[in-house]
Amino acid sequence: MKFEGPIVGENFLTDTRNYPWHRPPDLFDYDEAVSYMLSKIDEQEQIELVFAMLGIDAKVTTVVSTLLLQAISKGKFTIDMAMLIAGPLARYIEIQAKNAGVKYDMGLTNKDRIVLTPTLLKASLGILEQPEEESPEIMAMRKEAGPMEPDQEQIMGLMSRPPEGAVAPPDEQAAMLGQTEEEELEEEAV
Amino acid sequence: MQFNEAVKKSIKNFMAGNMPKSLTEKKEFLMYGPEYFDELEAEILEEPTDSTAAREEEELDEV
Repeated sequence: MKFEGPIVGENFLTDTRNYPWHRPPDLFDYDEAVSYMLSKIDEQEQIELVFAMLGIDAKVTTVVSTLLLQAISKGKFTIDMAMLIAGPLARYIEIQAKNAGVKYDMGLTNKDRIVLTPTLLKASLGILEQPEEESPEIMAMRKEAGPMEPDQEQIMGLMSRPPEGAVAPPDEQAAMLGQTEEEELEEEAV
Repeated sequence: MQFNEAVKKSIKNFMAGNMPKSLTEKKEFLMYGPEYFDELEAEILEEPTDSTAAREEEELDEV
């Protein structure tokens, strides 16, 4: 079964048409590849696209990845070469953005990283601090105050059941149901 | 490692002034090294923009 698969690099030798990135690359020299990409960025449409991407808060690393993938898909250079020229490309975009006064973020610092604090570490390890015990003075004051009244204990939300005996008068209930005096008279007449 | 992560790592290394050893050993002269971009930055950012240059020229003409 294993012998049925393609040999690594076989795509570079085959005569049949295939994807551009499966063929030998057009550029294999570092300087040539960088030069090609810089001239590409200098094109009016391309630089507008780069600035537009930076304008929507895209990071320089994202812009570079996009440009490199475009070139790889056209078979200009290999993925390995793309890795080598990513740095120069990012630096050039940085210079152009500075020159044009465009706000940019290199995207090299990880802002989403959670900062490790002692509290976070304790929580992650399950070592949660116990709440401090009340002081004897507060305990004495509580005793003096006595138990809470039932009304105070039953502080509930708006949608909770009202306490017993707290029923609205019939007029108010009718008003809540949207029944006016006129409607009641009509009902009686019927 | 994903493509984007590799690109980020490569950019970080270049920004720190590092170049891949195998590349520098293979080629004696690399045009587009970190120094090239430092010089380019100094050249571009110190150069006055077109509008500034035009204004300066007008001022000189008036004098």
